[in-house]
Amino acid sequence: MYRPVALLLALALALSACASAGDEGAEIQLMLFGDAQELAGYEQMVAEFEAANPDVDVTLSPVAKQDDLLAKLTTSFAGGAPPDVFLVNFRKYGQFAAQGVLADVQPFLDASDVLDPADFTPTAFDAFRYDGESLTCFPQNLSSLVVYFNVDLFEAAGLPLPAMGWTWDDFLAAATALTDGDVYGLGTDPKVIRVAPFVWSNGGEVVDDPLAPTTLTLDTGPAREALDWFLDLSLVHGVVPPDREEQAEDSESRFLNGRLGMYLNSRRVTPTMRTIEGFRWDVATLPVAPGGTPASILHSDAYCLSADGDTEAAWRLVEFAMGERGQTILASSGRTVPSRFDVQASEAFLDRAAGPPTPEVFIRSAETVRATPHTATWTQVEKLADDILEEIFYGRLDREAGIARLIEDTRPRFGAS
Amino acid sequence: MRAGHAGAHASGAAWLLGPYGVGVVALLALPAALTFGYALTNYTGFNDPTFTGLTNVRRAISDPLFHASLRASLWYVVLAVPLRLLAATGLALLTQAPRRFGRLYRAAAYLPTVIPDVALALVFLWVFNPVFGPINQVLGALGLVQPIWLSDPWGARWAIVIMMAFPIGEAFLAVLAGRRELNPSLYDAARVDGAAPWQQFRYVTLPQLAPLLALLAIRDTIMTLQVNFVPAYVMTDGGPDSATLFLPVYVFDQAFEFFQFGYGALLTVLLLGVTAALIGLQALLARRWRVLG
Amino acid sequence: MSRRPLLVRHLLPAAAALLYASPLLVMLSGSLRPRGAPPPQGVEFVPDGATLAAYSDVFALIPLAGYLRNSLIVVAIAVPLTLLVASLAGYAIRLLGPRPKRVAIGLSLVAMMVPVTAVWATRFEVFRVLGVIDTFVPLVATALLGTNPFLVLIYAWAFHRVPDEILDAAALDGAGVVRTWWSVSLPLVRPATLAVAVLAFTFHWSNFIDPLLYLNTASNYTAPLGLRLLQQLNPTDWPLLLAGCVVVTLPVLAVFLAGQRVFLDDPVHALDSLEA
Repeated sequence: MYRPVALLLALALALSACASAGDEGAEIQLMLFGDAQELAGYEQMVAEFEAANPDVDVTLSPVAKQDDLLAKLTTSFAGGAPPDVFLVNFRKYGQFAAQGVLADVQPFLDASDVLDPADFTPTAFDAFRYDGESLTCFPQNLSSLVVYFNVDLFEAAGLPLPAMGWTWDDFLAAATALTDGDVYGLGTDPKVIRVAPFVWSNGGEVVDDPLAPTTLTLDTGPAREALDWFLDLSLVHGVVPPDREEQAEDSESRFLNGRLGMYLNSRRVTPTMRTIEGFRWDVATLPVAPGGTPASILHSDAYCLSADGDTEAAWRLVEFAMGERGQTILASSGRTVPSRFDVQASEAFLDRAAGPPTPEVFIRSAETVRATPHTATWTQVEKLADDILEEIFYGRLDREAGIARLIEDTRPRFGAS
Repeated sequence: MRAGHAGAHASGAAWLLGPYGVGVVALLALPAALTFGYALTNYTGFNDPTFTGLTNVRRAISDPLFHASLRASLWYVVLAVPLRLLAATGLALLTQAPRRFGRLYRAAAYLPTVIPDVALALVFLWVFNPVFGPINQVLGALGLVQPIWLSDPWGARWAIVIMMAFPIGEAFLAVLAGRRELNPSLYDAARVDGAAPWQQFRYVTLPQLAPLLALLAIRDTIMTLQVNFVPAYVMTDGGPDSATLFLPVYVFDQAFEFFQFGYGALLTVLLLGVTAALIGLQALLARRWRVLG
Repeated sequence: MSRRPLLVRHLLPAAAALLYASPLLVMLSGSLRPRGAPPPQGVEFVPDGATLAAYSDVFALIPLAGYLRNSLIVVAIAVPLTLLVASLAGYAIRLLGPRPKRVAIGLSLVAMMVPVTAVWATRFEVFRVLGVIDTFVPLVATALLGTNPFLVLIYAWAFHRVPDEILDAAALDGAGVVRTWWSVSLPLVRPATLAVAVLAFTFHWSNFIDPLLYLNTASNYTAPLGLRLLQQLNPTDWPLLLAGCVVVTLPVLAVFLAGQRVFLDDPVHALDSLEA
């Protein structure tokens, strides 16, 4: 008669046993975000690491989107079960660093006989020094915002292909000429990180002080000019899919389906773009403001170590991932622009047959990048600003009133502890 | 009730409440107490919480997102609770009588309650899609305007309210049961007096069911203030322009995205305060209308 | 005179039933559209070129089979545990003296009214201290509340219709409380058990908030989390998303249809098999 009770107890025991599986050797968890195509590279990298390090067992915990990664990381840290190592963007690691839950990688790097900072492009490193001095997380890649474009659509419209140093006017003219029926010239997320490089190219600033920001500065001077130019793409020229169309089919799908001329994104979408069969595509640097300077925005993720995790085993994974072999695997998957000089010059990255045909665009673009702040509250500021920017971009909110709110509403967020 | 307490076992049975008691204390009472405890601290989930007096309160008072969130939640209750109650009552009274296909009708009414809420939210995301969605297809076929539902603050609020008018199974069953408990002789008397179906509803069914409906309204106020998390999270992510940033969504953002456990706890206490105030108001009205004794 | 009964008896209920069945119908119809097909002209019931392709794609794109298995494990533990806890508690309430009974029922009603969101951040704390984040424990633990105190009350109510004489007779035969609960009383309230099982299954199968908070490792995800993952990966691939919805809805739909009689025929007396 007690059988069901006993059965339940047995199940409960089995359940808690699953929770605390045996611990022979090291078991570490690697958390990152990406879709199926992006993850393939990481799976291969982890498999080779495990083959070379039989005493370490790596669990790969992928999350679909960057936003979700943040929530997952927060709950797992707050829950006392954080991943030992995770990949996170420089705009998002600040709030974790501020809580003191990360182990600085600087001492590991100093002691390492595998990794030498001189082998890496220094650009991304500054963004990952939380206190401005010692390296908090180790940047894995050096991506930036570029223009993906549909070569066939450009040729069909009789347009010259985008070239280095092309201008805002060239860009707008192309977008206008490409827009026809259900084909649109340009697709972009209306976000701060998309607007920022245009602001910088025009000589403006996104915040008052990049290291200790207290307010957005998109409402005045050259920054405002650039913001207006960006908003005009939707509000005046109509070269981006309107709200209705974007909700029916997002720009990435539209580009993949051959009905979008240009698409702004980072290296992250290259593995997905490589699945395109129906048309030719390539990448170009962002256009330059009239009388301005070339500019792009840093897109870089870094390996962060949890202070409470198995930092020793986690660092070994980082050493492998950032070594020549690890960087080569990820570069061949298309996912990353390697930050190692030797791999940047290798066929693994330059694979023109897989695409894009002009991969050096990513290297040129990376030479012009700047970064947004990486303070503890920046994530909150950016989230709110993106919401308001979307309202303005799709014409749901009046431009003047919207920009005023963009500044006013975000201001208290800078200080929120 | 025919049963009192069976003498032989009455005294030795209380321990059977053990597991349930553990659950209530560990999963409800203790967390609820902690919520009140953390509300006036700077707890982040990592630090040792320190008492910070009214800092969190002041922050809430000057927080535009909290204001937007409160507005969204109140509008939601005002629109959703009556609609859900109306739907549940209407469906129950329409399908209660035993008849051919009766159970089929009742099963259909309960169906949306069975669909997992994430799936239901995704379906309604499709239903309200401006280009492909069935609603705009119908509107287009009728030559009417096809709104971009989720881009407009009111469109998005209505979209969620309309979605939430579907999973009403609990209240539906309660009204169904309540209606069946009514004495048939009341209706016989009404029919003898020549009362039309509408008059039967107005003068017999409604007054008899009123106490039950008042209770359901109170319960639904509490429930809808929290179950709107999933549709808002999946369909609108609080947007557009914070129009659907219901309190639970904002609490989730603060506590689980930005490490603001203390502030999140205060917002939760305020959510409970709002709930209590709404229930108080309903109870007051019910008393004034002599619905509840 | 003869038109009105038809209207009230069949047309209106049928229309209402169709409206409430429509989310399911829309889900099915939308999942059959060919991917990338242009928007339909006019209202579409069965899409042109209907295909099941989205169903195989959804299993290829995310490990949905694994997520379904995880969901099954959770309900396989949570539902029996709910039945155990709720029936024991309900039985205990049945046996309590009048005053403690009022207190227990009153507390259960209050507990029923506490919104989950009011305690989620701090309940999280409890599970953290127990060290069970990223396991199924927090997901099945709500079974200790009877999943919802309402289910305890359903049992309490059903047991109340078991007359004292039957329990006293069992006691005279020397049966203890537990034996009387298991061999005498439970068999008399089978409809209540069925109702509680269906409601508990529905809740745990659909549960989204708890897995969202507590599960971090992707291989632990349950089916509703899988749907969310799918939405984030392919936000506008509608046939794929709706096919995922159909797959996740089917098991709970089957359980509901199997148990619907107890709810829908006569909710009051179905729970009371002694009078049936």
